[in-house]
Amino acid sequence: MKNILNFLIEVGKLKKIPRKGWVLRGIKNPETIAAHTFRLAFMAWLLGKQMKLNVNKILKMCLIHDICEVYAGDTTPYHPLLPKSQKEWKKTTQKWPRFSKKEKEKFFHEKYGKENKALKKLIFKLPPVIKKEIKNLWSDYEKGLTSEGRFVRQVDRVENLLQALEYWQKEKKFAIEPWWIQIEELVDRPLLIEFLEVLEKKFHRK
Amino acid sequence: MTQEKKFYLTKEGLEKIKKEYKDLKNLKLSKTKGEIPKIWHSEDLNPEYLAFQEDLSFLELRITELEHIFKNSELIEPPPKEKKNAVNLGARVLVDVNGQTDEFEIVGTLEANPSIGRISNESPVGRALLGHRAGDEIVVSSPIKTIYRIKKIRYLS
Repeated sequence: MKNILNFLIEVGKLKKIPRKGWVLRGIKNPETIAAHTFRLAFMAWLLGKQMKLNVNKILKMCLIHDICEVYAGDTTPYHPLLPKSQKEWKKTTQKWPRFSKKEKEKFFHEKYGKENKALKKLIFKLPPVIKKEIKNLWSDYEKGLTSEGRFVRQVDRVENLLQALEYWQKEKKFAIEPWWIQIEELVDRPLLIEFLEVLEKKFHRK
Repeated sequence: MTQEKKFYLTKEGLEKIKKEYKDLKNLKLSKTKGEIPKIWHSEDLNPEYLAFQEDLSFLELRITELEHIFKNSELIEPPPKEKKNAVNLGARVLVDVNGQTDEFEIVGTLEANPSIGRISNESPVGRALLGHRAGDEIVVSSPIKTIYRIKKIRYLS
């Protein structure tokens, strides 16, 4: 029980950690990692149900997908390009970052290794069955091993787009292009593509 | 009757899935016999398999999913010489996107991962690139207009 409590205290920290993407863009009082997880779970449940996917698995996957960030931090795609000066961060995020295939593979494996290590540390003392389930769900999400893993990976980005559109609509303080570019290169499930059209109508065609 | 969805796989992707299937079948066999599977002593053990150690339902679900993939899979083969100048599945495409250079490999949904440059043929950008040649400009405009200019197309074999 003590180990379960300690785990809950650690993941509870996500309620206070702001998402890095918003920090880079100078958003005041940005959403936290836990807040993103909360709405991602709803989005994946409602859309996953329509796709006849395993909702039980999806919900657990959403819950655990970012927990490694308690120790690993929130790494954005801009990470390799970030200048030391915080004043320059906003400028860096104006365009979707492009890298060579080799660089992409290098950054991907570095991030995976760092997060895998952090996850192991976080779940180390949990009961073995739960520990293995969390590890299994996380690997599925990261590598897209099953339909649910590939689906949650895409919905994660769609939730991020929705949050971006909400901030953008309010103040138009940053460029919205990078989110759409990323989404159009990633999302391939027809239901999610249909959902993107609804988002477009709501936020761009008024 | 509805047509089953096709899963396009690279040779490497198909071999990976075949190996996983073989390993998981062995794992299941050992578990049902109550033995300690040999695979757990193997040096190149995929750490993900350990997660199946105590949960047979995960293992069975994955085996069923892999069987479904095999049944509906199609190997991505390089196109004939005369068609190598156009983007098809398996192509590595060098593009200029709004002034920035990027390289994509067009793959099926199972192997897609834009973080390492692998774009699904069913994504809006993947779909738009298919059939186009070097020099072509593709506009993806929902809702932001993005121009992809194809600079080079190559196939690995």
